[in-house]
Amino acid sequence: MKVTFPHMGNIYLAAKALFDGLEVEYVIPPYNSKSALEIGSLHSPEEMCLPFKLMMGNYIQALNQGADTIIIVGSCGPCRFGEYAELQMKLLNKAGFHADFIAIDAPSDIGIKELFRRLNILTKNSSKNKFEKIQVLYDAIKIMNLIDEIEELAHKYTGYERNKGTCKTILNNCKAEAIKCNNPKEMIQLLKSYKAKLNHIAIDINKDPLKIAIIGEIYTVIEPFTNLYIEEKLMDYEVSTKRSLSPSWWVKNTALVPLKINSLDIRKASKRYLPLYIGGHARECIGEAVMALEDGFDGAIQIFPMGCMPEIVSKSILPTISKDHDFPIMSLVVDEMTSEAGFVTRIEAFVDLIERRRENELSRH
Amino acid sequence: MNYLGIDVGSVSTDLIIIDDNMKVIEKLYLKTKGKPINAVQQGLKILKNKYDGIEIKAAGTTGSGRNIASTLIGADAVKNEITAHAIAALQFDKNVRTIIEIGGQDSKIITMKNGVVSDFAMNTVCAAGTGSFLDRQAERLCIPIEEFGDYALKATNSIRIAGRCAVFAESDMIHKQQLGYNESEIIKGLCDALVRNYLTNVGKGKEIVQKVFFQGGVAANKGMKAAFENALGFEIVVPEHYNMMGAIGAALIAKSAVKKSGSTKFKGFDLANSLFESKSFECEGCSNKCEVVRIIENEAAIGCFGDRCGKYSNALQVSENLLV
Repeated sequence: MKVTFPHMGNIYLAAKALFDGLEVEYVIPPYNSKSALEIGSLHSPEEMCLPFKLMMGNYIQALNQGADTIIIVGSCGPCRFGEYAELQMKLLNKAGFHADFIAIDAPSDIGIKELFRRLNILTKNSSKNKFEKIQVLYDAIKIMNLIDEIEELAHKYTGYERNKGTCKTILNNCKAEAIKCNNPKEMIQLLKSYKAKLNHIAIDINKDPLKIAIIGEIYTVIEPFTNLYIEEKLMDYEVSTKRSLSPSWWVKNTALVPLKINSLDIRKASKRYLPLYIGGHARECIGEAVMALEDGFDGAIQIFPMGCMPEIVSKSILPTISKDHDFPIMSLVVDEMTSEAGFVTRIEAFVDLIERRRENELSRH
Repeated sequence: MNYLGIDVGSVSTDLIIIDDNMKVIEKLYLKTKGKPINAVQQGLKILKNKYDGIEIKAAGTTGSGRNIASTLIGADAVKNEITAHAIAALQFDKNVRTIIEIGGQDSKIITMKNGVVSDFAMNTVCAAGTGSFLDRQAERLCIPIEEFGDYALKATNSIRIAGRCAVFAESDMIHKQQLGYNESEIIKGLCDALVRNYLTNVGKGKEIVQKVFFQGGVAANKGMKAAFENALGFEIVVPEHYNMMGAIGAALIAKSAVKKSGSTKFKGFDLANSLFESKSFECEGCSNKCEVVRIIENEAAIGCFGDRCGKYSNALQVSENLLV
């Protein structure tokens, strides 16, 4: 058995550590790129959402490198994502590929027994004992949390750094180094050292950088290839950004759902505009927009893939929030046709907009 | 004192020289024809012949080809079209609240409050209703694009054309032609359809408050202006330099940039005689496989775009710093 998994942001680091720790053979698909997208689009329905196509590209590239088992987290139907595993299985078969799928669903959907059965397929080839397996899983989750924290710090401090580009360089070096680690413990040490490094960069506390919240559909905000590296671009513009949705948020949120104590802050913030879950992460998007304006952000950028129903709903609510609170919000729709020129123009114009608004306010007071 | 603004768009490349009092000294409207370097050089050559010796205090670029143009001329400011258009409009009239801008391949709406941009939108997935489409239809009907608008004004009746998609709009127009409707009615129908498309697509959820400026190449089309006024129910204004607003904005932004920095980076009109070349290649450094473009002036690399990691563009900057 040689397992593989689709990309989503930095999740490959945690996955690598997990499989390294379990001593299970694995293939990390090549990073998302035009070629992954082309392959994926070729084998996907045209109207399908962008994440689906990229995942198909990841699978096929990994299968060509010898993988035979695909792991995916499912979530039984909050939106089209719930159908991903089934559809992808069928499409891969149709295209002549043979792969086993292991869909990791929440216990509330498939039962705890079924979940363990599925996890067991994955771990039965591991020579590790039960205790060691749990230890490895714990380490993998720790790695996921660490890299998310590092990203968050880098995106935040970038507006305050004394030497332009420090955060970006540290973040990129960190990822490049982490992928070279061959066991979970080593990776944890490395990530910890990078986190410490970020916490000790020279910052100018008197700076008051522009602050933008990145909100929207979870895959397209997390996976930089889909949003044309928007966070990196904003780092170049010395804008501090914050994105609440991350793999660690997702895991925590999913784990807390059965207890009904998941994302209380978001639920509270979204109450006035969207008081119920309508699928996907629409409610989170609305909640984050409200939280961003309450936290003194200068604006928010919503990103979602073409045709994403939940986000279309939130897109139509956002102008009301924007108007009620005089808070700039821009929506960006991405798909395989997205041209970089128009995308960059919008981002630049949005940064200009909030910058000039601020200058204007300062000059009037 | 004079300021140069260059707007390299998909269809046209506009160059403008303005003086301190915002008076337009010269404006050039050239076709880009997919070769931005040539268009900019051609423009500079014309300016050189006419205004050799004139002092340019600041130069700015905008438009989709703003980066390449900036590398060529040594611009003091490189700004996106949205900001450039807004700055230019506000300079001419402080009371402008909405800008409708329709260019060669994109259309935009910009709303302003208290003299700053408060919101904007661009066409997302479709270019139906922009200049290129009108150009093509004019060509198909064998009517010069300059007269297209007059035809629309002649019509007494409007025919409903499906304007959602450029291809379908075209087949619908052909269909209506074959049914025997006259040209001016069809053209009026087309203008109405495009305006409808603009308002429901680009202008969706945006408040269009008076006073409205209509800018960009398409503003020359009287039929489009009339269709907008008809749909909105009030008058819209086409400013005098409607097709130069981007370039004017770029010049104005450059002017304030130089006020801060002290001196201009503009390389002068002699650039017209330099030999420019652009080379593109796919970087094999990592799996990102960036498409990198390198601009070469007289055999020396002067600019690099497209490399995400900055391997090439940063290397260039370092060597520049060493020279200084």
